[in-house]
Amino acid sequence: MNTYYAATLLVYAGVDIIACLALNLQFGISGIVNFSFIVFQAVGAYTAAVLSMPPDTANGAYQVYVGGWQLPFPIPWLGGALAGGLLAIPVGLVVLRKLRSDYQAISLLVLSVIVNSVITNVRPFLNGAAGIAQVPGPFSDQIDPLSDTYQLFYVGLTVPCVLLVWLVASRIVNSPFGRSLRAMREHELAATAIGKNPVELKMTIFIVGGVIAGLSGAILVGYIEVWAPSVWLYPETIILFAAVIVGGRGNNVGAILGALLVPVGFFEVTRRLPTTFGGWTPPPNLIPAMEWVAIGLLIIGFLWFRPEGVRPEPRRVFDGAPIREEPSSAAIS
Amino acid sequence: MELYVAALGFGLISASVIAIAAVGFTMQFGITNMINLAYGEVMIVCAYIAFYVNQAGVSVWVSMIAAALAGAVMSFLLNRFLYAPFQRKGTNLIGMVIISLAASLILANILLAIVGYGTAAYEVDQGPLLRWNGLVLTTAQIAIIFVAAILMLAVHGLLRYTRLGKAMRATAANPTLARNCGIPTQRVIDVVWLLTGAFCGVAGVVAGMNSENFAVASGAAYLITIIAAAVLGGAGQPYGAMIGALIIGIVTELSAAAIAPEYKEVVAFAILVLVMVLRPQGLLAKRGALAAAG
Amino acid sequence: MNKTQPAVRHRSNRLGLISSLATVAFLAACGGGTPSGSGLGSGPLLVGVLAPFSGADASFGPRYLAGCYAASLSINGAGGIGGRQVSCQQFDTKGEPADAVPAANSMIAGNSNLMGVVGCTSDEASTVVPILDRSHIPMFCMTGQSEFNKSTAKYFHRLVPADSFDAYAMIGSALFGTGHPAYKRVALVFGDDIGSQTFVGPAVAALNKLGVTIAINQAIKLGAPSYRTEVARLLQATPDVILTETIGSAGTYMKEVKQQNGGKVIPFIGTSATIDPVWFKQVKDAIGLTDFLANYQAVDLKLTLSGSGYDEFVTQLTAADSKFGGSNALTYKGKSPTVHLYDGIIMTALAMVATNSADRTVYNPKIIDIANGVTGATVVSTFKEGVDALKAGKSIRYVGAAGENNFNQYNNSQQGYNLVTMDKDGNEVVLGSLSESQTQSIIDAGGGA
Repeated sequence: MNTYYAATLLVYAGVDIIACLALNLQFGISGIVNFSFIVFQAVGAYTAAVLSMPPDTANGAYQVYVGGWQLPFPIPWLGGALAGGLLAIPVGLVVLRKLRSDYQAISLLVLSVIVNSVITNVRPFLNGAAGIAQVPGPFSDQIDPLSDTYQLFYVGLTVPCVLLVWLVASRIVNSPFGRSLRAMREHELAATAIGKNPVELKMTIFIVGGVIAGLSGAILVGYIEVWAPSVWLYPETIILFAAVIVGGRGNNVGAILGALLVPVGFFEVTRRLPTTFGGWTPPPNLIPAMEWVAIGLLIIGFLWFRPEGVRPEPRRVFDGAPIREEPSSAAIS
Repeated sequence: MELYVAALGFGLISASVIAIAAVGFTMQFGITNMINLAYGEVMIVCAYIAFYVNQAGVSVWVSMIAAALAGAVMSFLLNRFLYAPFQRKGTNLIGMVIISLAASLILANILLAIVGYGTAAYEVDQGPLLRWNGLVLTTAQIAIIFVAAILMLAVHGLLRYTRLGKAMRATAANPTLARNCGIPTQRVIDVVWLLTGAFCGVAGVVAGMNSENFAVASGAAYLITIIAAAVLGGAGQPYGAMIGALIIGIVTELSAAAIAPEYKEVVAFAILVLVMVLRPQGLLAKRGALAAAG
Repeated sequence: MNKTQPAVRHRSNRLGLISSLATVAFLAACGGGTPSGSGLGSGPLLVGVLAPFSGADASFGPRYLAGCYAASLSINGAGGIGGRQVSCQQFDTKGEPADAVPAANSMIAGNSNLMGVVGCTSDEASTVVPILDRSHIPMFCMTGQSEFNKSTAKYFHRLVPADSFDAYAMIGSALFGTGHPAYKRVALVFGDDIGSQTFVGPAVAALNKLGVTIAINQAIKLGAPSYRTEVARLLQATPDVILTETIGSAGTYMKEVKQQNGGKVIPFIGTSATIDPVWFKQVKDAIGLTDFLANYQAVDLKLTLSGSGYDEFVTQLTAADSKFGGSNALTYKGKSPTVHLYDGIIMTALAMVATNSADRTVYNPKIIDIANGVTGATVVSTFKEGVDALKAGKSIRYVGAAGENNFNQYNNSQQGYNLVTMDKDGNEVVLGSLSESQTQSIIDAGGGA
């Protein structure tokens, strides 16, 4: 274990935890299946990139992109978070107002594919399929980004963000607003009947989730210094969903656990699997394909055997309330 | 001008391919309330089954029947052993979407492990060329349009004029009420999966013929177009899916003629977004898409 | 110099300054299985194949792995590197830069016996090259991105052309190629993937300067189910040749060209990336073998694909067949990535023997000496010959399976271009080559490289 590897794992874990917390707010707490989640991370990353980069005429102009303002930290990160929130507004207005929940999900899935296709094809905007490289990380002009110090420094920048997002997420979950969200998730009609406006609730949490997702993208792009359409294809969203489902929907600790178990843990373990088994070498593409099969089985297995995840959402019971079974959620009718 | 005539004609072929697939997809949704995101992968599995049959020297049109059978059986089993148990367990609509997505991952990657990353192509006798005003079509392409037209008419006839069709519509409208009226809804649903699965199988082969080369990755691409057509027309509505397919097929080709071709899918999807904003229930649907179904 | 003037990575600049100082510190931090003194040490050595094994470009990984297997068998059969056996392991980047970062770091952290890395395609080179460079791991990369044309990464080696060179060579093929008159109306049909983006700019500039008509310059959406309207537009422009790459969609496109053109295929010239079993099969399936052979030409780096170096490569690739889970490794025998990476690994191994060191900082500079040769060097074409010559106290130049290498100061090896096609089995056939002056005239017209 060297410093770079340790730092990579920690930064990635931080980014995944932040993303899973955001997804948990949307999906776990509020029941919004945001199948275009990764787009919000991407918009944060692109924004942070063009805010921190020099104009595209720099470096021999081998890439083209808008912006290039060379703004100092923390403006790129804040800008990334802001961009995630801003994108959530039009998307939310189109998708969340009238559509039924499963319909929202597939609309968002299609949206994810469209946006990726647009960015890939409109090359002058964000350099198309090749993506943008040489994104300067925070303070990389003051600390050599190749040094161990910088690696640890970056972990040091990431950790407070994780704690901040966790704090915000916990506050939301335990607030009256969080109760309204859960009420809406469990029974939208009933929540409406007691005066909650589901569109307003959904829009709010969609924007909050967008902000957090944008931040996660900004942190990641500062570290890897590259962002391209291939990084945010829609299967990336599925991995995050798998993480939240495995960890425990509706539970922030569960979301964190899921982030550590699936995007970080699962893929680190599969990286270390042997590639020969007692003299037999499987075809080179077999193991990567089986990883995806395993992710699929993991999702189905958890939803069947333990739908509440490793760390279930705590049942909140008020003193004096009559104990009853939880209503089965949104039964098909 | 010739180019636009040609583009319209080409759009009709694309529309035929999309329509066959989208009608099956939307009927699964309309009648069984299941957004089956594994549909594209079942298509591609069937396309490969037909490919191996075709390789064995059988005509591609006969292979299509094999694919239809395979699609019917696979879809039936998928519902029986995966979707239905979860639905009985009370998994909500969102949960079902996620499960179907997981199923599509599993199917695609198992297929990948078997057939690999290369491309496959059918042996098709394209037949003589037909030309009209810049429009050049092969006989095989016209046959695809005919297959689509016949299947669409068959769906129309089934839903409109048969007892089974009536039972399907009743099940779609209100399964509980339908059951109470003595309609064997379970059997109806089984038949729907068999039938739509057969559509899915045929669609896989037709899509493979249309593109000449296909690969495992094509499944995901098909799915997005199918969803777009279904959503555009109003999910759950077979006629809506037909209209959606026509619009997407023709708009895609026309925009390739009028604007830069690399944006052709983007233009088609832009129309979809516009419809979602202006008429979120889709062009035809009266029910299904809007909040709080039933 | 033109717009695609290569970039210098800011971090690479600094690397030169700190590398010598950092070496000792780094090796300590690394947990150091790498001996820092002289001597080849003991225990197995590993070559990492860091490339896409899943995702859209999943077919790339296996062909690099094939080259690695062949090289390891060749080395091990000759007694290994000072007795150390070489093995190959795949590290999947999933074809994207973000997943490549932990893949690369995990590979480095988990394997102190890495002797070198091959792979790093355009999908992930921008993130993994700096990581490998700062860890002082010699690498042979398969990226054509222009940002590496003047790379200052010391451990970076590139045996493939920059994408812009491919564009110039294709124009050379259209103008000076064998078996056809100079084409006058050229169509450019490129996709929306990473490689294709960099062809178009230099190609357009060069064609305009040379007075060749660009009949149509078409960007297409890769992976679309059909291209009928695009092809109708192409045919309206009446090109007499198509320059193309369109990986994954070439079969669909060319089939429609043939159909709409009344069964007649327009000659098409592919990039070096089209010399590929998947591309070949796809287009051959689509338009038929006869039409394919009659109309396809491509450009490739000057590979000899003959001689004792190549024979050794084919022998070892045949032996490696069993390692491919039943699929035929020999399909890769005429593939420049496979051949190039094989040569890269052999050169690395010879550099280790020549310096008598398993310290990457010591043997890395020697790789280029062995590739380019110093005055009076003995030419060797296999690992075994190299070891024998070194033992006899001679200095060597490795001219391997792909022929000569000529690294420039940016660790790019350019050997000029061959004009090629493929035979009925998809193997490369050399038709001729571009002369220095022909190549130079196009490069000048395109605004340099």
